[in-house]
Amino acid sequence: MTTPMRRRQVLGLGFAALGTAMAAPALWRRLPRFDALAEPTGAATLASHGGVADLELVAQSSAGTLPGGPREVLTYNGRSPGPLLEVKAGDEVRLRLRNRLDQPTNLHFHGLHIPPTGTGDNVFLTVPPGGTTDYAFRLAKDHPAGLFYVHPHQHGLSADQVFGGLGGALVVRGDLDRIPEVAAARESVLVLKDYASTSGEEAAMGVGRMLGREGPLLTVNGTINPELPVASGGLLRLRLLNASNARIYRLALEGHPLVLIATDGRAIGTPEPLEELLLAPGERADVLVQGNQSPGTYRLLTLPYRRSGHMGIADADQVPQTLATLRYAGTVAPLPLPTTLIPVPVLPEPERTRRFVLGHAMEMGGMGGMKYAMGGMGGGGTGMGGMGMGFQINGQAFEPDRIDTRVRLGSTEDWLLVNDDVMDHPFHLHVNPFQVISRAGRPESQRRWKDTVLVRAGEEVRIRVAFRDFPGRTVYHCHNLDHEDLGLMGVLQIDGQAS
Amino acid sequence: MSPIPLRRLPGFLSVLIRSGALALVAGAAVAVVAGSGSLAARASTPAQIPVTSYRSASCGCCKGWVQHMRANGFAVRDVVVADLPAIKQRLGVPTRLSSCHTAEVEGFALEGHVPAADVKRLLHSRPAVAGIAVPGMPLGSPGMESAYGKEPFTVLAFTRTGAISSFSRHPQ
Repeated sequence: MTTPMRRRQVLGLGFAALGTAMAAPALWRRLPRFDALAEPTGAATLASHGGVADLELVAQSSAGTLPGGPREVLTYNGRSPGPLLEVKAGDEVRLRLRNRLDQPTNLHFHGLHIPPTGTGDNVFLTVPPGGTTDYAFRLAKDHPAGLFYVHPHQHGLSADQVFGGLGGALVVRGDLDRIPEVAAARESVLVLKDYASTSGEEAAMGVGRMLGREGPLLTVNGTINPELPVASGGLLRLRLLNASNARIYRLALEGHPLVLIATDGRAIGTPEPLEELLLAPGERADVLVQGNQSPGTYRLLTLPYRRSGHMGIADADQVPQTLATLRYAGTVAPLPLPTTLIPVPVLPEPERTRRFVLGHAMEMGGMGGMKYAMGGMGGGGTGMGGMGMGFQINGQAFEPDRIDTRVRLGSTEDWLLVNDDVMDHPFHLHVNPFQVISRAGRPESQRRWKDTVLVRAGEEVRIRVAFRDFPGRTVYHCHNLDHEDLGLMGVLQIDGQAS
Repeated sequence: MSPIPLRRLPGFLSVLIRSGALALVAGAAVAVVAGSGSLAARASTPAQIPVTSYRSASCGCCKGWVQHMRANGFAVRDVVVADLPAIKQRLGVPTRLSSCHTAEVEGFALEGHVPAADVKRLLHSRPAVAGIAVPGMPLGSPGMESAYGKEPFTVLAFTRTGAISSFSRHPQ
């Protein structure tokens, strides 16, 4: 299914793009120098029609436009974040990925419950530079409505590509959107993403690959501090996606509680007002905001948070930073909050419990993952036979050809996630959502569906997962993508027959 | 054990003598002065300079740095502590220069995966700083050797008043 296309001259700013821009003289004149070399930007939203989503994403390098930001940004269709993909439960999805990068890439459909095999959510696929791959799958008619995340998952390059700018939101329309109070809300998808500075010198201050790279430029949908309009009396549905490589957002909105209605693309049972919302990379949350305060402006903030003890804390991270500004505009008849949403079922009792210890250490033996991790990284040998310093699960770095965990389709298991490290690790499981049972031995107060859970340094989190519908091979990993690239990933084999 | 460059001999010897005295006071089981050798002979078998290193129990890379320091002629006392931030604060390590472990050598603070060669230069030149730091955990720094790659990093000097300056770059 990976069909190499005619090989392009892959340059940072391709000559093909130059040709396109020159064919549009009006555009050429209007754009600043760097933009003139970039591809024209594609549509902001790509949606399905009549039960079919025919989508195309072109991964390429484009000229950066953020003031003080990187000169080059990796884009889908000229955008970072990529276009919003909008589909419906029951849709046939066909997504063509064209790789115009100078390195391999691929796609992960983060949070979707679809097959991990073939042309589905298959992260073992690779699209070479100049190549094209068609992803194709059908969403079940009862697929949860929610916010999902499409991003590269090329082991060894995931962090480079996501930190470089690739990734975007995918919305599945369905059950939750039909609840009248939710349907009445004004919707805004907010993709939270940080970018490196032009010099990239923050890495020299310690925020490198071991901690996971963060950039000083905080953006929402690629913009610094955009305005979010809300009417007095109105209801705003903020659909938040942390599409950053490693940054964890501790969100708060001045003067307004965030009323949680969905976690990781799936509705919760009853709305829950929050003063703060912690959002780790890969996590999503839908919150409602009532426009019931004095008209004016209110800042959406990210508050100081330490994800790696005292390490890698920039001065800017020690004070609240503004992400966006809520601005009152107009008045409508007051809209109520919903009282109930969609029940989250109790999962069956687990058949067994497995333990996963997450951490970083010197790997002395074996060649685990070496040939993959070396690709594109230009790494040197350690002279010690293993990977040397890196991240591990249960003492082993990622090795794509080794099955670490084998489960039976239809079974339910508890996984005890033990963070034995000095840094936080957001743990993500592909294909099947789970429920958090307890944290540090304390039961969770409300049942929620999750596909990514933050396991803080030194913490133990128990999750329960039912392996349903789709057999095949997939992965679980740390969603600090630098950690994933440095070994913190395991292979899961789900044995069984699809019904 | 890497030999000490001869051009640094005189200054380093004074350090040796001071540290030797410290080691004896501390009762460390270290052969400080080997017999009745000449100054040159003493330099070729350096006394072990005492270093106290503090880390948390779970960190997977601090021990690698301790080994690197020992292999380069330092007598490292490896101390596991519960409250590492308190030690960083006591030694005046600026928060934004933090790494996973903190050490003390002859009144200087060493933060993170500082190369032994930089520590030797620090003890030789004795600048008016509180210490030197490698913030974070750069891949490829001492104790962080990795087949995944090597990140460039800067050793930064800091003062008690929080002034930060570049001490050395790796690679240079």
